[in-house]
Amino acid sequence: MTRLALICLLCIPFLASAAEREPFDDRYCTTCHGTDGRGNEGVQAPRLAGMEPWYLKRQLENYRDGVRGAHPDDIEGLAMQPMAAGLTDESIQDIIEWAGGWNYVPAEHTISGDLDAGRALYQPCATCHGANAEGNEALGAPALAGQNDWYMVTQLRNFLAGYRGVHPRDVYGAQMRVMTTGLNGENDINNVVAYINSLSD
Amino acid sequence: MVKPVSRREFLNLLAAAGGAGAVVKAGAALGIMPADAAASTLDLAAGNGRSAVILGGGISGLATAYELGKAGWDCTILEASHRCGGRIFTVRHGTLIDELGNRQYCEFDDEPHMYFNAGAARIPNTHRTLLGYCKKLGVELEIFINENKTCWVQDDAMLGGKPVRNIEYTTHLRGFVAEMMAKAMHETDMDEPFTEEEAGTLLGMIRSFGDLSEDNVYRGSSNAGYASGGFLSPGVQNDIIAFRDLLKTPFAMRLLSTNEGETGPILLQPRGGMDQITEGFLRQVGDRVSYRATVASIQVRDDGVEVAYDQDGARRQIRADYCFNCIPTHLVTGLDHNFPADYVRALKHVLRGEAYKAAFQAKERFWEKQDIYGGISWMNNRSQQIWYPVAGIHRQKGVILAAYDYGGGMYHTRMTQQERVEAHLADGEKVHADYRDLVEKPVTVGWHRMNHMLGCSARWRRSFREGWTGETEQHYRTLQAPVNGRHYMIGDQISMRSAWMESALLSAHWAMADLDRRLRNAPA
Ligand SMILES: Cc1cc2nc3c(=O)[nH]c(=O)nc-3n(C[C@H](O)[C@H](O)[C@H](O)COP(=O)(O)OP(=O)(O)OC[C@H]3O[C@@H](n4cnc5c(N)ncnc54)[C@H](O)[C@@H]3O)c2cc1C
Ligand code: HEC
Ligand code: HEC
Repeated sequence: MTRLALICLLCIPFLASAAEREPFDDRYCTTCHGTDGRGNEGVQAPRLAGMEPWYLKRQLENYRDGVRGAHPDDIEGLAMQPMAAGLTDESIQDIIEWAGGWNYVPAEHTISGDLDAGRALYQPCATCHGANAEGNEALGAPALAGQNDWYMVTQLRNFLAGYRGVHPRDVYGAQMRVMTTGLNGENDINNVVAYINSLSD
Repeated sequence: MVKPVSRREFLNLLAAAGGAGAVVKAGAALGIMPADAAASTLDLAAGNGRSAVILGGGISGLATAYELGKAGWDCTILEASHRCGGRIFTVRHGTLIDELGNRQYCEFDDEPHMYFNAGAARIPNTHRTLLGYCKKLGVELEIFINENKTCWVQDDAMLGGKPVRNIEYTTHLRGFVAEMMAKAMHETDMDEPFTEEEAGTLLGMIRSFGDLSEDNVYRGSSNAGYASGGFLSPGVQNDIIAFRDLLKTPFAMRLLSTNEGETGPILLQPRGGMDQITEGFLRQVGDRVSYRATVASIQVRDDGVEVAYDQDGARRQIRADYCFNCIPTHLVTGLDHNFPADYVRALKHVLRGEAYKAAFQAKERFWEKQDIYGGISWMNNRSQQIWYPVAGIHRQKGVILAAYDYGGGMYHTRMTQQERVEAHLADGEKVHADYRDLVEKPVTVGWHRMNHMLGCSARWRRSFREGWTGETEQHYRTLQAPVNGRHYMIGDQISMRSAWMESALLSAHWAMADLDRRLRNAPA
């Protein structure tokens, strides 16, 4: 039972004989990112609700331009990259407005670690991300508090492995990538993320 | 030298080469494929005005609305997509393929036989519950052809990449295997000797299995088809393909098992597309469906279930006494909910499968000029399969499946549309030389990226070798049981045999029967 649909000139690339075709739009992010962009571990898609508009914009543009999510071993990034590849500037603007209306719920914690070790490891991070991991627009560093911990683990691994922050145009990513050299192995990553978790308790 | 073969090994070998029995019984042992039982049917107590909200219009959700509706329940189906059916998805003229990042409209000619079952495509004759619904709902069925030995087998490593007919390949393979078995019978000390009569019978079987000559040597077989003649002049046998050449392709194992078990004959399909099943249900419960209604929140209460959903840019609420939910587990984890911790752990345990299919419109039915009517050609490349349609025999055009990667669909999924199409053209022209000129209007479906689905079928097992572990089964039982007696997960995902419509239906039946039993036993 397909419903009769109106033509949506903006979103239908086939203009000829497009009459009565089922319309679609670019507001499909929540299929992966969950209700109100709360994040969904089931597809490894992080929380978007509450995200700074400038950071959201930068990431969408980075994905669209292949600056992020292009490395063949960046499994999660490869899932996201094509989702942004076809976005127009207008769509990105529309999505940012849409996301601004989402109800922000801090992500549930799934990782625990040594908080003292984590606190020590976090000290250099605070310079950019803030003592409460609240982010700093002037430095281009996003908030980390309230973000899905499993996602932060993936990102720290990806920065370390050179899956993120290596594209010549990824200026902010490169700054961040340098900072991960102080993290030695999975334990450090776990501990620092557990500490960031504790900041949103 | 031929290694001695024990009788048990020998019989196993024989079973592996030709026998289907074991595979079918394995299904019955899993408790999903009914061995000899009748179709699952329900006899529900009267609903007495009770209400149910059904999340997702997959076949399990539709069947739930149908059965509960018949018993007098007040049902509402919330479906996120513009269509019901979920992984039952037939693509035809004008269909929107809602693959995120790669939306397409299908441009096939507007004719009834020009369709493509991009999801479920085959109904095994043993799937009685599904077949029962087809009968009840007036869904017309026809035979689906899976195995057609006139189709091609192609492997770059074999015969310089020249395609051979399946019948040639398998006949020769059987011939050589039989020859070895016959030799082994003479040269081996059996751990339990056969009587002379048994040995004679066995040898006879082996000879006829491989079409051996009296001296137990394989010298080719007319079963492999004639190179020429056969009707008005003597048939000239096809040349034998050397055993070594046959061994250059790993197809041997595949080809012998693709038509066994649940994909063994007889298979059926609805005339006009698998979505005729969806349509059949919708004729009964279509007025209960709310489309483009995306569930956002599920709150299980003591006296019912509250569901919030997004529709037309607004968040709406609905409350019902009970809830049946066929939304894929990996999407449920992204919803707002108040499920208990062990339930959430179980939801997270289930991984999403990968599958990928593609199809072309063929400008002419070139396969029929090669005596092919239905069936599958197998290629040892990433596109893997070409399916020829049963629908529209001898018409001008037809729709063929150009690729079907069931296990590792990400290879093509990660490509752009252009790259996908080029890959299938390059693979297919190894079988049909002028493929590129004969096909047009491609459609591709990466199930991993289909909106509101994001996967093919639930993966419970962490490895095929390991199978179902105790821990996995524990999670399975957790998800099968209702939350607070009010919320049931359903769908083929809640079965030990995912990826079948029958499993989806049986899971819904299990849930309804469980609820019915509890309602009947509850003090008034
Ligand atoms: C490539 C492929 C080949 C297959 N081949 C066969 C075959 O040959 N034979 C066979 O028997 N089976 C086959 N299957 C399996 C069969 O299609 C499925 O087992 C069956 O269709 C599953 O039905 P279901 O009821 O579990 O729900 P699904 O079909 O999974 O439906 C789930 C529904 O939930 C909806 N939904 C998702 N999120 C939300 C939300 N937030 N709110 C509301 N609704 C939502 C979806 O849109 C969808 O309609 C195949 C599947 C695939 C993908
Ligand atoms: C097919 C699933 C899918 C869809 C659809 C999807 N995403 Fe994503 N997205 C992901 C995954 C997975 C990641 C995590 C990538 C990683 O771990 O590196 C991600 C990451 C992101 C990030 C990076 C977050 C951060 O903190 O840097 C942003 C921003 C984002 N997505 C926005 C969107 C928007 C906006 C849309 C809708 C246009 C969208 N996504 C649609 C799967 C998806
Ligand atoms: C020099 C400033 C700076 C310092 C110090 C720094 N970061 Fe970052 N960090 C950034 C910037 C900028 C980004 C955003 C990169 C981008 O835009 O792609 C970022 C991104 C991240 C991300 C990914 C966020 C997301 O949503 O994808 C994580 C996780 C992170 N930083 C953790 C850390 C940790 C842990 C430390 C300390 C070990 C640290 N950062 C130190 C600047 C910094």
